[in-house]
Amino acid sequence: MKISNFKSQISKFIIVGIMLLSLMTYSGAASAELTINANHDYITIDFFYNGSTVSVSGSSDTGTDLIIKITASDGHEILKQKGKAAGFLWMNMGTLKFEHAPNLYFIHSTKKIDKILSKEDMNNYVIGYPALSKYIEITPASKDEERTKWFGEFIRYKEASKLYASSSEQINTTNENNRQKYYMKTDWPYQAPPGEYLVTVYAVKDKKIIEKAETKVLVEQVGIIKMLSGMAANNGAVYGIISIVIALGAGFGVGMVFRKGGGAH
Amino acid sequence: MYLYLPVALTSINIIIPIGLGLVVGLLSGLFGVGGGFLMTPLLIMLGIPATVAAATDSNQIVAASTSGTYAHWKVGNVDFKMGVHLLIGGFIGGLFGVQAIKILKEMGNADFVIKMTYVLMLGIVGTYMFIESIHKVEEAKQEKESGVAKLLRSLPLQTRYEKSGVTHSAVIPVVFGGFVGILAAIMGVGGGFLMVPVMVYILRMPMHVVVGTSLFQILFNCIEVTFLQAYTNHNVDFILAVLLLLGSTVGAQVGAVFGRKLRGEQLKIILAVIVLVVTVKIIFELTLTPSLLLSQAGGH
Repeated sequence: MKISNFKSQISKFIIVGIMLLSLMTYSGAASAELTINANHDYITIDFFYNGSTVSVSGSSDTGTDLIIKITASDGHEILKQKGKAAGFLWMNMGTLKFEHAPNLYFIHSTKKIDKILSKEDMNNYVIGYPALSKYIEITPASKDEERTKWFGEFIRYKEASKLYASSSEQINTTNENNRQKYYMKTDWPYQAPPGEYLVTVYAVKDKKIIEKAETKVLVEQVGIIKMLSGMAANNGAVYGIISIVIALGAGFGVGMVFRKGGGAH
Repeated sequence: MYLYLPVALTSINIIIPIGLGLVVGLLSGLFGVGGGFLMTPLLIMLGIPATVAAATDSNQIVAASTSGTYAHWKVGNVDFKMGVHLLIGGFIGGLFGVQAIKILKEMGNADFVIKMTYVLMLGIVGTYMFIESIHKVEEAKQEKESGVAKLLRSLPLQTRYEKSGVTHSAVIPVVFGGFVGILAAIMGVGGGFLMVPVMVYILRMPMHVVVGTSLFQILFNCIEVTFLQAYTNHNVDFILAVLLLLGSTVGAQVGAVFGRKLRGEQLKIILAVIVLVVTVKIIFELTLTPSLLLSQAGGH
């Protein structure tokens, strides 16, 4: 009995050990092996705000490739689509709805993504524009040809707004003490609205993601900007009246100044 | 120096809106137009969302037209009675215009009708003003209009408009104000560039009184539009409006001073050229392939 109890204790111990070990291989390793740090994780939008910069740095195992993704949470966007009316006049021909489209999507990697990552992982982790095209739903665009065309236009529209970017040259890496240190500095566009943004670094080996680590960047309006946008959204009547009164006052004020100045004529 | 715009959610170098305001305010003081047909597309080009650009432009026109009306009123160039009659018509016309837009949207071809109305109205008005001002066909026109004048004189509510030096039935400015109101609502503009030719060619008012009176009625239209935009759509960007009005209020005063030094015919020719240039620009936009095939949708 004692021996069987001892065996049962041993087998339980082994099972728990294996479970702990398998857990450590993924999440534990992410915090212990792959690290991430955003130097500017709280961006305040004040009166003189004109965008910012965000640096992402950390360390990983040597010999791994890295992908850094900065993204806003999923949203939906309704955009006007231009087309030809009467065969030759370009004008708005309707609207397209882009469902599950993040408002901001930056993807940076140490090498071209399709060279270092399998299609399966690209799709699973929504890494790269081809994976994003499968993730975003476009309505009404039923045919593949239409979807491809309008997704391409969507990327061009977002890149022109500086809210989407993709590159394989921005991450710098160095090897120190058998560890790979990485560093990336990116412009933070003023077009990015207030909100919480997720920064994820993926370590890639043999075309598979082996680790990931995350941090967040919070963008928030403060001071007079917060007060004015709050009033415009929640107290439109008062906001409108103040805007009109100030415009009337400015018009009369300048008129009075010119009247005095014009007295000499 | 850059400032952040809390409603447009964008950042802008302050020199740009102040400079734009100055130029458009100058046109406003010179010709009695609000300048929305110039300012709104320029703001969109600077990255301001279309809906915010149009709403904020209305707010700055309140300032520019106050400044301009005040400058013209000082020298006796505002016909308040005529202005009020045009306003009544414009208000009623605006209500019809909004309904027309709703129907067109339901039919699914609103954009086509709006763009075509824009090109046709601007093209016709610009060409007519230009040719008329160049040839000065005053005598021939008076002969032609004698029949029309008789008809207008036979209408009830004949009213003397002292400042303009004309007598018309009060029905005339209300009807034509209404016509401009309908078109302005359909085209989404203040309608100054349509109202000015109506006052010059149909109501036969002197050009300098036309400018002051047009600004007076634009002021009230834009107060209404600013309030409605702020209250219902939350699209007025206060900081952008202040930057624009810093330039436009000064520009309107300078324009009014310049305007007094130019003859009516000269003013008409310059306005006609500006209207025609804008028409050509719109025709190019319609026919050349745009760089982006997607744009922000209006409204919320």
